[in-house]
Amino acid sequence: MQKIEAVIQPSKLDAVKDALVEIGVQGMTITEARGHGRQKGHTEFYRGREYSVDLLPKVKLETVVADEMLDKAVQAIITVARTGTIGDGKIFVTKIDEAIRIRNDERGEMAL
Amino acid sequence: MQENETPGNGMCGEYQRRMLEIRGAFEAGATGSATIAARSKAMDELIRGLWAQAVKDTPALRSGIALVALGGYGRSELFPYSDVDLMYLLDGKVSEKEVKLPIRRISQELWDCGIRLSPQTRKRSEAEKFDADNVEFALALLDHRLLAGDAAVYERFARVGLPKMLERESKAIMTGLAELTFERHKKYGETLFHLEPSIKDCPGGLRDVHVCAWLKTLADADSGTKSGEPSMSGLAVGDREEFAQAVEFLFVVRCFLHFRHERDDNTLDWQAQDAAARELVGPGRTRTTWNESTASAAYWMRLYFRHARSVERRLTQMLDVVPAKQRAGRWSLPAKTRRGAEPSPVGFRVEGGRAILNAAAGVGGDPAQDPEVVLQLFATMSKVGCILDRASEERMSQALPMLSSHLEEGPVLWRHLREILLGAHAGKTLRAMHALGFLELLIPEFHGIDALVIRDAYHRYTVDEHTMVLIDTLHGLETPQQGSMGEWATRFGGILRDVQHQDLLYLGGLLHDTGKGRSTGDHAGESARMAESVAGRLELDAYESELLLGLIRNHLEMSAALRRDIFDLETVRAFAGKVQTPEALRMLTLFTYSDIHAVHPDALTPWKAENLWRLYLATANYLDRSVDDERVGARVGKELVHRVVAVMPGKRPQIEAFLEGFPERYLRTRTPEQVRMHFEMAERFAEDKVQIGFHYSPGTSEVTLVTPDRALLFSDLAGALAGWGMNIVTADAFSNRQGIVVDNFRFTDTFRTLEMNTSEHANFVASVHDVMAGRIAAEKLLTGRRRGRRKAPKIVVQTRVDFDDEASSHSTLLQVVAQDMPGLLRAVSLALAGQGCNIEVALVDTEGETAIDVFYITRGGGKLDADQCKDLKKALLAGIEANAG
Repeated sequence: MQKIEAVIQPSKLDAVKDALVEIGVQGMTITEARGHGRQKGHTEFYRGREYSVDLLPKVKLETVVADEMLDKAVQAIITVARTGTIGDGKIFVTKIDEAIRIRNDERGEMAL
Repeated sequence: MQENETPGNGMCGEYQRRMLEIRGAFEAGATGSATIAARSKAMDELIRGLWAQAVKDTPALRSGIALVALGGYGRSELFPYSDVDLMYLLDGKVSEKEVKLPIRRISQELWDCGIRLSPQTRKRSEAEKFDADNVEFALALLDHRLLAGDAAVYERFARVGLPKMLERESKAIMTGLAELTFERHKKYGETLFHLEPSIKDCPGGLRDVHVCAWLKTLADADSGTKSGEPSMSGLAVGDREEFAQAVEFLFVVRCFLHFRHERDDNTLDWQAQDAAARELVGPGRTRTTWNESTASAAYWMRLYFRHARSVERRLTQMLDVVPAKQRAGRWSLPAKTRRGAEPSPVGFRVEGGRAILNAAAGVGGDPAQDPEVVLQLFATMSKVGCILDRASEERMSQALPMLSSHLEEGPVLWRHLREILLGAHAGKTLRAMHALGFLELLIPEFHGIDALVIRDAYHRYTVDEHTMVLIDTLHGLETPQQGSMGEWATRFGGILRDVQHQDLLYLGGLLHDTGKGRSTGDHAGESARMAESVAGRLELDAYESELLLGLIRNHLEMSAALRRDIFDLETVRAFAGKVQTPEALRMLTLFTYSDIHAVHPDALTPWKAENLWRLYLATANYLDRSVDDERVGARVGKELVHRVVAVMPGKRPQIEAFLEGFPERYLRTRTPEQVRMHFEMAERFAEDKVQIGFHYSPGTSEVTLVTPDRALLFSDLAGALAGWGMNIVTADAFSNRQGIVVDNFRFTDTFRTLEMNTSEHANFVASVHDVMAGRIAAEKLLTGRRRGRRKAPKIVVQTRVDFDDEASSHSTLLQVVAQDMPGLLRAVSLALAGQGCNIEVALVDTEGETAIDVFYITRGGGKLDADQCKDLKKALLAGIEANAG
């Protein structure tokens, strides 16, 4: 099993969710996040005050998939989240040793 | 009896057989009341049987001990899997040691039977003493019933000891009960609106039903000690029936949940709601063919919330007996109220934290039937936060038909409604009006969303409660807040202070979801259509109506924009196109903030608030930066022009010529009547080229100048006002293609000159006119005024001068931010004139001690180059510093 953590633009969340559901990925966790990579942010002026945007709004999506689903899921995310401009985000993949469904103690891929 | 079967086993078997019968009867349609009474009876038989067996084995049990049912069991209300509260009451004749073993055996038999027993052994002297640390036990004693044992022991307790204890301690028990209730409500967020409510403990649930009964008992016990004091008055017949129906509904739902979960689980979870709707759980239920609407869980939960609200309303009425200083949470009474006030000529008074109608007087009639009095009463409630007196509520409820027939619509109604909406306690007052049925008299459109449920994982509240929470949230922005949202509340609160039409903002809040009652799929559009009818009845003018309807129609647009890339100019431009004016943007931003917050307490996160702020900021800047480019063209069919033409039929060509070249913002921020006034002023140029309009108000007054453009025009007007000691708060200046300027200045009367001397108003206008006509120099007025000693500012504002060469295609945008002080605008505009700059558009605003001036300027008919900007900046800084002294 593999865990996918994708930090994406908030405006791409709906499309990414739909794309994952379409390929059969059911469960995911969404977290509101702020961050930056190379884009760094900028400063906005309003009514004489400076408002710096150091950390931009992002969304972190996490999901665990079976090994054989990994490539498909990653590609689905990339396809819909990519705009080609700085700020599109990143995907991280880590190996998962075990998954357990709390309700009925199902384990492994059955719990996904 | 079979081998190994004890008498206890036999009785237990019989009890379990009875329970199966009871369950079968319930599933076949028996009421909640019947079911819990049946279980109670079955339990009685079991316990009496076991007791009889115990007495046979232990003759000492024959006297000196009584078995007493307490709590719910004492009321004969035993839900299928509820605990059984049992008290072994001892007189002095029998020692605890003697009865310990038989009591344990009985308890064991009951536990073995799967019954959750809560046994207590008490001497009579202990039971008749109130323990302030164990209020729950005292409350359990309020419901008691003899099951078995020595009747004399019970009688002495029930007829003598307990009543005496209650007489002594009723106030203390009431205090303890009130504290427990307030704590419990606080635990549930002081709301009965939960996605998966506990029908026992949640506000509006069965525990509140018990509290009502306990308060009545305690109040009766208390009144028994004071002769002449009236006991608790009963409810009106209609209210009694409504409450009884609510209680029966909760009974049957709790039975349903117990049988479903097969344990004492009172949570109406998602699946249980679906099942309850399918099985038509409710009083009077029969197994008829269900249809889609009645089987819908949303519809069923609507019933639940209506009943829960009835219970909550009854609880609020019963809490009347709790002294003001012991009340907490949303039942708190305002600290400062008039004491012992005489009946007021307006028909009501405020006393002890309650708004109380005067008694009905023969000739004058009953104030409860006078809409004017009732509306003023609610306006007062909204302003001071008092609650409605119970008897007054009763009278108003009876008077609703009369109120309806005498209710006057139009400006009078709007004036009262405004007062209610703008009061700090508007949400609480509107809830009281809604519970009474009075809100729906004023706004029948509200009926469709009464207890309407939007059944998903996000919407915690019913639609009507969501509306109230939204209004609470808006008002909450007026005061500092703590916690993770404190900083954001402060920022958005700053926007609220700048909203000129707060009354429309709150009215929009009240009406924005009324369309959900019609299920058309476009609730925003439907709500706007319904609001149009309301606006007509209140006789709002065209501008106010459009602002209100626009807010409602577009109330989801900002949330939609937030789902796009808010840093993309295209997103901002598209959104700016929807709002069009800064006032509409402010209103929609605040609306969106509150609307999100009112979905669920956790819905508005700091992350969302930050994104909302960014979008607001970007759009506000965009609107300011696009003023100069978006101008009225000579196009027939432009809606904005049409509106103006409509108020001056027959003058279309002249109006179009007048409007051509004005920024669209001019038309969007003026009513057609105001534009007409400006046009008519321009038409009088033949008599006088300087046309002045003046509107005085104790708060902020307004001067409008319509005149052909000339050099130093703006600075002269600023100087004339400063010369009279007026502090300019906001200003805008627009010019059309013909070179006609419309300048509007709003100002406060720093030295109260005009306020204290109404005869000076004409002199003021004449003086300003003379300056603008060139007969008097503005400098003369200014040197005549001594500045006096200025107070040190609370906040020091750094002067900032910024240029933007890209905001407009033909002007340079200049933004000046500086410490607000008299003469500032004159100094700035003189510097501009001194550098040969022409003001195409001016947008002047003040925020606290900060003056924010935005100008679109040209020099020689075009933008300023870099050197010219540099020189101008130098001149501005010098001028501002000189003015600051």
